[in-house]
Amino acid sequence: MAETQVLVKKVATPISFGKKERALITDPLNDNNPITVQVLGICSALAVTTGMKNAAVMAVAVVFVCVGSNVITSALRKAIPSQVRMIVQLVIIATLVTVVELTLKAYAFESYKQLSVFIGLIITNCIVMGRLEAFAMANRPYESALDGLGNGIGYGIILLIVAFFRELLGKGELFGMKLIGAGDIYAINTETSDIFGWYVSNGLMVQFPSAMFVIAVLIWAHRAWNPKLVDIS
Amino acid sequence: MGELANIFIKSAFIENLALAYFLGMCSFLAVSKSVKTAFGLGLAVIFVLGITMPINWMIETYLLSENGVFSTDLTFLRFILFIAVIASMVQLVEMVVEKMSPALYNSLGIFLPLITVNCAILGGSLFMVSKEYNFGESVAFGLGGGFGWFVAIVAIAAIREKIKYSNVPPAMRGLGMAFLLTGMMGMAFMGLMGIDFVNF
Amino acid sequence: MHSTRSIVIFVLIMTTVVSLLLAFLSSAWAERSKDNALLYAKKATLGAVSQHLEMDYASINNEQVSDIFKNQVEQKVLRMDGTALTKEEVEELGYTGGQAENVDILKEMKKPEAERVLPLFIYKKKSGDKFYILSAAGKGLWDVIWGCVALESDLRTLAGVSFDHAAETPGLGAEIKDNKTWVKQFTGTKIYDEQGNYTSVYVRKGGAKDPDYEVDGISGATITANGVSEMLKRGLKYYEPYLKSI
Repeated sequence: MAETQVLVKKVATPISFGKKERALITDPLNDNNPITVQVLGICSALAVTTGMKNAAVMAVAVVFVCVGSNVITSALRKAIPSQVRMIVQLVIIATLVTVVELTLKAYAFESYKQLSVFIGLIITNCIVMGRLEAFAMANRPYESALDGLGNGIGYGIILLIVAFFRELLGKGELFGMKLIGAGDIYAINTETSDIFGWYVSNGLMVQFPSAMFVIAVLIWAHRAWNPKLVDIS
Repeated sequence: MGELANIFIKSAFIENLALAYFLGMCSFLAVSKSVKTAFGLGLAVIFVLGITMPINWMIETYLLSENGVFSTDLTFLRFILFIAVIASMVQLVEMVVEKMSPALYNSLGIFLPLITVNCAILGGSLFMVSKEYNFGESVAFGLGGGFGWFVAIVAIAAIREKIKYSNVPPAMRGLGMAFLLTGMMGMAFMGLMGIDFVNF
Repeated sequence: MHSTRSIVIFVLIMTTVVSLLLAFLSSAWAERSKDNALLYAKKATLGAVSQHLEMDYASINNEQVSDIFKNQVEQKVLRMDGTALTKEEVEELGYTGGQAENVDILKEMKKPEAERVLPLFIYKKKSGDKFYILSAAGKGLWDVIWGCVALESDLRTLAGVSFDHAAETPGLGAEIKDNKTWVKQFTGTKIYDEQGNYTSVYVRKGGAKDPDYEVDGISGATITANGVSEMLKRGLKYYEPYLKSI
């Protein structure tokens, strides 16, 4: 009886989208969020969140690289010689990121100019590397794809939230459209030309340290709402 | 010579990789819980940056650019070659540290190989390319950048060690506080903007 | 544990696949990327005459930009003495295409002053008005800054400017590009006074004293603003021999 049970378990599990698979996507959105819990992928979260458009492009790029590298690594996981494991993973990631950069240069030049150095830094985005090591090396391509998707989206959500506050409070715009205020405080004797002229942009929001403050508050809110995360890191 | 010293000081304090550009944050926040490990990691970063910068400069100038050996624009290989150089150098540092100080090697644990994916290293090389530094300037930039990162992580580790004894709200403890501290340190370093030693 | 042979084979296959893939993509899109870069620069140049375009500059698309350049913009590349270079001479300098749009002003700034060449764009409105768009480059706080200045046909009054930078701080130095209100101040200023003396336009910290020849500074970005003043004073004067010859 025990023998047949073991034999049955060794048969390939079919591809399905059940509770376990859904958890792969939803966990990184909340309990296991790459930025607020796992402390990964911080660098780009700070630099590209000055505008929602840039944050969105970066989020899409990271989801692409995450899913892509997870799938490729998982498919090759038995063939990669363990001695060169790290280098192979890095080459896979670097190739995907180069593809992203070439695509942006050809089809979205403005975003390419705005993101510049930080596209390349997706390679060192700890989320991508972290998920490769922690998941893709030991799981099938289908699950790895879902995991990459979940983590990429979890990262993207945080990016968009931070960018929302920074752009709105820092420039009075969202996605480049002016919403509130026109008082650019850095030019003296300005003529305000917009309808809502009462808001003076908080210039500090556009600088790097403010991203830190916004994320600090986000973490505070996240952990206050989800108490099991207190003291986790 | 003055220009090189200027670049060193600039990349160490005014354009600090950790506090002005917020690069290398993952290890910065994860390792800064104690001054001893922060010290060790900082030294390793100086070393890796100081070595990979000139090597990557040579790769960029002699292999990838249009004026290099191959006479074609091979810049699409930049990411792969840079990261390969960094990975190899980190492997080298790992071996050296293991031989010279096994205690440090053990306390750093997983974070030594993680220097490979430290955005500050790759970011530093990419900045060097976009600023079009020459060889001497890249070395100064690498050493200065590493030194600045070292100063930043040791400083925040010292603060975090002390703040453990303060009454921080539970949800802010640990990571949240670290973010806040780094942001404030970043603001402080903003005060150094505009210092230029050559045109003093 | 994999044998050395299998490791080598794996690495070789991987390197080949990766290089082929990237080389293919890179060359397939090379034309497109180059065009994009050119269009980006052209759009920035038109930014200097943004108020004189037939369409809204903020929503202009790439086709419109190349249309305008093809039909309404005359391009010249000038030597420091005001004479124009031929297309072949420009190409000999390394700028394929031989037009002003191909000249890299940042590269020119690295050459000794006497050897530089200057790009010039002459934009003709449908109504017949002519605008002369000059280029200049200089140093901001962190890195280089550059921009285009459009002169009206009296060769004295500015019709507009557009600036760009490599690494200025967002919210401070970067305002020379992002802050439309600040940039608009330049329209209407003059670079020559009533007697014909060269004054350029000065960015004054604390507020412009003479609105004809000065504009307000940017709070917290004094060094970048000084860089703009210096860049204009030096860079616009380069075009004097040509302007006097018209």
